Amino acid sequence: MKTLYILYDSECEFCRRCRLWLGRQPAFLPLVFVPLQSPEAECRFPALSELHPEEEIVVIDDAGAVWRGGAAWVMCLWALQEYREWSLRLAHPALLSLARRLCEVVSANRYKISNWLRKAKSHEELKRKLALFPAQTQCAPGGHCEVR
Amino acid sequence: MNYIVGTYILYLVIAVALTVWVARTLHKNGRLFLVDAFHGNEPLADSINHLLVVGFYLINIGYVTLALKYGDKAADLQQLLEALSTKVGAVLLILGGMHFFNLYVFSKMRKRALIHSAPPPIPPQGYTAVAK
Repeated sequence: MKTLYILYDSECEFCRRCRLWLGRQPAFLPLVFVPLQSPEAECRFPALSELHPEEEIVVIDDAGAVWRGGAAWVMCLWALQEYREWSLRLAHPALLSLARRLCEVVSANRYKISNWLRKAKSHEELKRKLALFPAQTQCAPGGHCEVR
Repeated sequence: MNYIVGTYILYLVIAVALTVWVARTLHKNGRLFLVDAFHGNEPLADSINHLLVVGFYLINIGYVTLALKYGDKAADLQQLLEALSTKVGAVLLILGGMHFFNLYVFSKMRKRALIHSAPPPIPPQGYTAVAK
């Protein structure tokens, strides 16, 4: 495994903050953050819509292996130098099911959390506010995906 | 030379000999652990090993010399043996504690090294196509 692609919702303030936090941590392997609304996401992963990335976070490695939801979070922690120990602990079946459920709840309510974080009253207001700071697509190591 | 001085001399000889024996054991057998922990970097492992042993000597011989004058004063051979036994017992317990502490440090270092090459904890849940 050489790279981890992390597909996140750039219309969600909470997801963006998580992405920034992940980006700041020292990692064992390069993490590439792809906003799922960007053309790059569809281009890099042609069958992406089958994975329903709009429901929960999706992590894909350079060979195409996919993790979703709680498992995807555990994989993100595994990639970080400071948190790999935690990811190994969290991967225990008992804790993993707890993490899965927690991720489901957070993912289902992520716009509510984002509204609260951004002090927006509606989803439209949130979208407007977030559009002022467009999420950047980053060029992956080993070449940019040509958007057709 | 009375019994008290006899206790002291015997105590010093036994305690220092025990310290040297434990330290040499640690030095010899801890090396493999450390070489593994530092990914086969033998000079670094040897250096850390040596530093650990120096600390081990300092703490143990420091304790042995500090504790020399404490305890019952012997007036005959029986009391000499009793006092000696108590003192050597305390040194052995300290050595045992230090030894386990060293083992803990070794295993901690090794664990940190192993985590570096740990495989993904969860198998992939599926596969998707990736554009080149």
